[in-house]
This record gives sequence, structure tokens and C-alpha cells, in this order.
Amino acid sequence: MNIVIVGAGEFGSTLAETLAGEDNNIKVVDMNDSRLARLAGRVDVLTILGNGVQLGLLETLDMKTTDLVVATTTDDETNVVICHMAKRLGCPRVAARVRSPEYADQIGFFKDQFEIDFIANPELDTALDISRYVLRGYAAHMQSFAQGRVSLFDVQVSALPHLIGKRLAEVDFFHGMLVVAIYRDGEVIVPSGTTELRLQDVLYLMGKRETLTSFARELPNVGERHVTRKVMILGGGTTGYYLAQRLLVNGLAVKIVERSEERCNYLVSRLKGALVLCGDCTDLELLQDENLGEMDAIISLTGNDEENIMLSLLAKQHGVPKVVAKVGRSNFVPLVEQLGIDRAVNPVLISAGEVTRFIQGGAIASLSLMFGGQAEAVEIIVPEGAAIIGRPLAEAKIPQGMIVGAIVRNQQVLIPSGRSVIETGDRVIVFCLRNEIPALQKFFYTKKRGFLYELWHGGKGHRKPPTT
Amino acid sequence: MNFGMVARVIGSLLLLEAAILTIPLGVSIYFQEQAGIWGLALSMGIAAFVGVVLVSLRGTSSRLKNREAILIVTLGWFFTSLFAALPFIFSGSLTSTADAFFEAVSGLTTTGATVISDVEVLPKGILFWRSFLHWVGGMGILVLTLAILPSLGVGGVQIFRMESSGPTPSKFTPRIAATTKILYTIYLSLTAVQVLVYRFAGLDLLDSFIVAFGSVGTGGLSPYNDGFVRHSGNVLLLVSVGVAMIISGVNFSLYYDLGKRRFRQVLRDSELRLFLAIIATSVLLLTWNLLGNVYDTLAESAKMAFFHVSSVITTTGYAAADYDLWPAFGKGILFVLMFVGGSAGSTAGGVKVIRLLVAGKLVRRELDRLLHPKAASPITINGRVLPAEEVKGAVSFCLLYFFVFILGSLLISLDNIDLFSAVSATAAALGNIGPGFGAVGPMQTYAFFSPFSKILLSFFMLLGRLEFFAFLILFSPRFWRE
Repeated sequence: MNIVIVGAGEFGSTLAETLAGEDNNIKVVDMNDSRLARLAGRVDVLTILGNGVQLGLLETLDMKTTDLVVATTTDDETNVVICHMAKRLGCPRVAARVRSPEYADQIGFFKDQFEIDFIANPELDTALDISRYVLRGYAAHMQSFAQGRVSLFDVQVSALPHLIGKRLAEVDFFHGMLVVAIYRDGEVIVPSGTTELRLQDVLYLMGKRETLTSFARELPNVGERHVTRKVMILGGGTTGYYLAQRLLVNGLAVKIVERSEERCNYLVSRLKGALVLCGDCTDLELLQDENLGEMDAIISLTGNDEENIMLSLLAKQHGVPKVVAKVGRSNFVPLVEQLGIDRAVNPVLISAGEVTRFIQGGAIASLSLMFGGQAEAVEIIVPEGAAIIGRPLAEAKIPQGMIVGAIVRNQQVLIPSGRSVIETGDRVIVFCLRNEIPALQKFFYTKKRGFLYELWHGGKGHRKPPTT
Repeated sequence: MNFGMVARVIGSLLLLEAAILTIPLGVSIYFQEQAGIWGLALSMGIAAFVGVVLVSLRGTSSRLKNREAILIVTLGWFFTSLFAALPFIFSGSLTSTADAFFEAVSGLTTTGATVISDVEVLPKGILFWRSFLHWVGGMGILVLTLAILPSLGVGGVQIFRMESSGPTPSKFTPRIAATTKILYTIYLSLTAVQVLVYRFAGLDLLDSFIVAFGSVGTGGLSPYNDGFVRHSGNVLLLVSVGVAMIISGVNFSLYYDLGKRRFRQVLRDSELRLFLAIIATSVLLLTWNLLGNVYDTLAESAKMAFFHVSSVITTTGYAAADYDLWPAFGKGILFVLMFVGGSAGSTAGGVKVIRLLVAGKLVRRELDRLLHPKAASPITINGRVLPAEEVKGAVSFCLLYFFVFILGSLLISLDNIDLFSAVSATAAALGNIGPGFGAVGPMQTYAFFSPFSKILLSFFMLLGRLEFFAFLILFSPRFWRE
């Protein structure tokens, strides 16, 4: 696919990096030369210096042969204009990043009148992600797939001391679950039977939701059922605003701590029912006066990573059951979760996952970028003719960095083994390291082609997005 | 450091080398040369075996780090040269390891210096292999490997950057694989056209190929002891080879632009303009110097001046006359041109015109500063303001080039040859040119050097081909410390 990304900021770069792993020709436009140089040194994309709103530039990029334009500049209005222009010049699909809450209720208008196919809103996506976690009954963080039938759950090996030093094949402990990944020393490993478990490892288990919930309930200090009623949000920025709005709708008590008085007034006028506290988030007296320890959940969303991490650690120390921190640097996400903070969120990664899913189109039901973008968990409805169909998984020569975590067939969840055979129409959840994404495509989308075809087309085959 | 991944890439490189060895093997079979068939087939077997062993090393593939990319490029070139040297030994063409390595490196780095005094007795397959190495090394072997084997899972951004010549790689499509394919398409078409032209100019088919490999890859090894002197009367051949070398000395991305009908952009390219201007000036001066002193007619002087200027500036090294006998000024012109080299993104070596252009603009800016201390004067190339990093990169490359040149000349003079021979041998190796002056003049060979000097010169050729930094960093202890 030919993709043009306007803006090489964090969002644009992450998107470029995610999409470049697949069979896409990506051009990135930005006005900052050094930012482009940094990107070009890391990712196989063509960088173009210039202003994306310029008609001349868009014309030289040839919108008629471009399949998709994503506008990710810091400016909402610019993004809308770029997308509209691109569409008029003949680009079939366009996506814009629009973040401002003022525009949130006119997204429909943008989509219809300006013919923008997809609006990415990292702050809103993040708020939705956090609210889903907060509203769930358990403190343990679980990611869900296949309409909630399948869950992904992370557990530290230190909580299961009898497993340390054992090989995965010897462990007769995870019944009805599959260890799809191990996070070790900052790297993600897709384990095999011979992988030995170590003290600092974090295991990622996939399985039926019911199995995992009962498993989690057995674990010490993880599994108590906990209904969230009181939430404190530290930092009243855009994400905080969206989150408060969601939580209020669900009838929770929300306190927001925000530094700027002007912003406080804005929040008070827009959020009916929330208690807005005007003060410094790092003012411990203020937090203690407001019963930090009594909260069911603390969400740190200030613009400063260090502040968010410190505040979250403080909250954990006070025994708050659910603690979430926003982390702006995407590669720190898994690290922060290892510190004992329940959940670290990165708006860019969450939203880049959404945009990727939009780009992939029909066959992909959900896609989340994990471990700071080092891996993807993808839910795919296996299309007819995919190479994986009809062979036992053990014989399919699936590369080491990829694992099928669960198969959903006729509403039934199957935990795959080497003998499992995937059929057309199965919903599979695949965990895949970033550098194996081409293999993901090879197995799940395209038919097998000859060696010469691979030679000429760079080995990945050309794939048009399936239309819905 | 992910050695498993490095080993796998190098393994596939050797497999590719084994595959391309079939072509000279075919030549040897056609001419029914026992020594050639035996030497090439055995080398092929060894390269394939080692390749398979390395490829089957299981390792995790992870994101390529700078360190690994450097190691892949340098070791890749080293091992390809090492295995390319095997046919010379197994066919009995050369007996010393240092000689065979020198010959292979000289081929692969498109230098064109030889240690073989009598090449005409060698099997045709081996002669073909020597020149075919020019063709393979000219455009870059690693990029080709990565482009046709994406399943290695190694992104080639850093490798492309290190292997392509010039300060900034000219990538004109989003994907390196696609750029590489276009570059190789251009490369193949240039080769095919040249083979036809040389055939038309009177060479036999094998020689047409060998000369084309030399001129497209800007290599310069010849299958005859007297090189191009035997063709010195063939005006059509000399002129077409001269033009062909210049075509190979131009940034290949300009041909892509030509194909896209961006004529104005090509004509206004400042590197191309400077490159052609240097050639034109040198040809004029050299013609003037040769006329009366060496040749009697203007036509003869102009023909020889054009051919040799083209041959030296593009770092090819074909010689149609013993220019070592020319007047001092004429030799001086050629010596200076040895340092200029071709354009970035071409198959030529040397400092590269673009870097000299940047350095020149920097000097002019300093002069302007004397008059207008406050003038804002960023350095621009083709209307684009160069970031300070790129300017620094170009200037420090020039400095490093001359530093290595001086130090290298000193080391080569240990062999106790006259100083100008030592100096020009070093310059010819660093710039991937081939022949120099004096003891290493166009009618001489490098055979008399000590094994130490031969290895050192081979190292200079690799340094020059990979543009210094990647190779030198391997000698820094900091590279190996994690």
C-alpha cells in the first residue's frame, strides 16, 4: 500500500514504524529536517521536507497512486485541511488526528462533509482504554479479545515462586492457558517449551476469560474483587477531561487535581458532578487531605512522565487498588508496569494501534501494540485461502517470534496446541513480535506464491486491504 | 551484539557468492579449461558449504542495531573478498594467499590493481571472474542480498547507508528494496548496452563483457598484459568506453529522474555540473599539455586526454597509453583527479565531487565572513540548506581521507620504493583506481610489493570502498565494549 504520513512527530513516527514492518511504501512529510533524518535512519521510509498543506507538495506526491493519507501534525485544523485536500486530489482513504474536545461532537460532521474516513484521537482512545480498566471488577489488568471471550493477563513469576528455574514444558500449572510472551530484561520473548522461567520474568497468559479470572483470583494480592466507586485523576488535560466524562456517565465519584486555574474553571463548567481541585499534583498535603489512600483508583495524567510515575508509586504505597500512569515515552511502558504500577498507558501507541487496524481493514477485528510497540496482539478473522489453513500448527513452520494464542470457532474458545488446525472463518488471536509481522501477513492473509514472485516483490506479496 | 543474526546475513551473502560463481564456471566449461573448472567449482562448493553452515545458525532476529549493521557490512565485505580469492588459488593462477586476497579485493572494490604480471596465460573463466567481481562490488553486494532476501528479517536502512557511496544515500522510493531493484535495473541496462556497443566496436563477446564490467563498475582489470594499449587505435572503442565510464561516475538516481522526465532537475544538479566541469577543464588542459609533447595531432591528444581523464576521475584505471611517460604537468592533472573521484551514488570511488563541493562552499563562506561578519550564509546544495551535521560529515571525511593517505604512504614507503610510487600506490588503492605512477604505473603491476604491503593496500581498498568510518570503528576498543 502507498501511504503518506504528514507530520513526523511521535504519533507520525510510531505509525510509520508500525506500518513499515508490513508491505507498505511509506512517505513521511515534515517541515523539520532533523526530525526526518532521525526517522529515516531508523525506519525504511522516504522522507520529504515540506509543508503538507501545500497543494504543490501534495500534487508531486501524486494522490491518485496513494492509497492512504494520514495527517498527524500537532494542529487539528491543519490535519482536517490536509485530508480534505488529499481526498479532492484523488486519494481514496484519508485519516486525520483531531484531538481537541471542542471538535469531539462534530467528528461526524468532519467525516461526512470533509470526507475524512477515520479520525484518530489518541487522548480519547486512551481515556476509553483507562475507563474500561477502571470499570472492570478486578484490580488485575486484563486485556480482552473476541468480544470478551478471551483474555490476556500478565503475572510476575515472583508471585509464583515454585516455578522459578523450571522449563516451560515441565510446568504443569497453567491449565487451559497459554504463555504467549515473556517480558525479560526489557525484551519480549515468545517462549518455547525449553524456555526457563526466571525470577524477574513477567508472563503473559492467554486463555478463556473465565479460566483466567479464576486463576487470577487464586493469586495473592491480585485477584480480590473490587468495585470502583471513587477515582482521583491527577492532571486535567484533554485525556483527563475525556476520562472524567466517561466515569461520570457511569456514576463514579471523580476528583480532578489540576494546576492551572483557568483550566480548572473550564473543567468545572464542562464536567457536571466532578470535584475539581485547583492545586499542584505533587503537593502531598493536598493529596492526603483529599484522602488519597481511600481512593479506589488513581490515574496520573500530568504532562510529565516522572511526576506520573512518582505519584503512581505513592498511590500504590497508600494501598490504592488500581493505579494507572500515563507514560509519554512509549518504550518505557513495560518498564513502568514492572515497577508495580498496575497499568501504564501511552496515547500514541494506543491510537497507532487503532489507525493500523483501520488501515488493515476487514479481516482484523482488533490490534493492540504492546511492549512499547515491540509486539502486536492481533485478532484476525481468517480469510479464505490463507496459508495457515488446513495444516496442524506444528507443521506450519511458524517463526519463533509468532504464536497463536487462542482460536474462537462457533463461539467456542480453543487453546491451540501443535495439533490444532485452523479453518476458514476462525477468529484467531495472534501474538507477534514486530519483526515477524511480514510472516503474520504471509500466514494469515495471502496465498502462497512462488520463489520468483517473492524475488521480485520483495518477499511479502502485494496485499490490497480486504474490503468490508 | 546479536552474532547469530550477523552470521546468518554473512552466510546468505556467501550463498549468493556461490550462486554467482556459476557464471565464470560456465565460461570455463565453454572454453574447456580444466584448471578453471576445477578451481571455480571447488571454491563454489566451499562458499556454499560455509554459507549453509552460517545460515543454519539459529538465533533470534531482533531489530538491527548500529553496531550489528557495521559488523555485517565490514565482515560481509571481508568474507566475500576472502572467498572470492579461492578460485585464484585453486586454479593455480596464484600461489600466495596475500596475492590472491589482493586480487580479489582489487576486483570487488572496483580498484583494478593486479599482482599478476602475465594475465594472458590465465584461464578465461578466472579472467572473467576477476572482472565480474567489479560488476558485483560496484553497486554493492549487501544491499542486493537484503533486497532479494527480505526473509532474513533485517531492515537494511543502516546497511544501505553504509554501502552506498557518498554522504547521503539517494533513496528515491519509500522502500530500500524497491530502490535497489531500480538501481540494479539501471545497472543491468547500462551493462547490456555497453556490451553491444563494444561488440560493435570490434571486441569479441568475452572481451566485451569484461570491458563492460570494468567500465560500468569503474573497476579496470584487463584480460591483456598491455591493457587498453592494444586498442589505442580503435577510436570508436576508446570514445565509447570513455563516455561509459563518465556515465558510471554520475549519481544513478539522476537516471531515475531522467526516466521520470525531470530533465530540469537533472540539468540543474550542482554535483553533476561540477563533475562535468572538472572533466571538461582537465581534458582541455591535458590536451594542451600533450599536443606537441607526446602526440603530434590535436585529435590524438584530445582522444588520449579524454580517455584518461575519464578513466582516472571515475576511478576506473584503464590505460590506453603509458601515461607515466607523459610530461610532469599531465601526470599532475591525473594525480589530482585521483582524489576527486565520481559523484555520490555512483560506482566510482575517491573523495566524491559532492564532498569537495561542500568543502569548497565552506571555504568560500569563511572568506565571505571576512567581508560581512554578520551575513547569514547557510551552505546549500541544489537549493536545500545542509544541516550542520552533514557539512561536518563531509569535511571530516575529507580530512580523514588525507590523513589516511599520508599515513598510508609512509607505511607503503617501508618497501623502499621511490616516494612518488609509494604515494601514488596509496592514492590509487584508497581511491579504488588501480594503476598509479612510477613502479606502479599503468604498464606495471603490484607484484613486487611485500606481503605486508599487499595486505595493507587491500585494506586501503576496502577502506576506500566502504568510505572509512565503518571499517575504522572496528579498531576502536569502544566498539567491542558493550
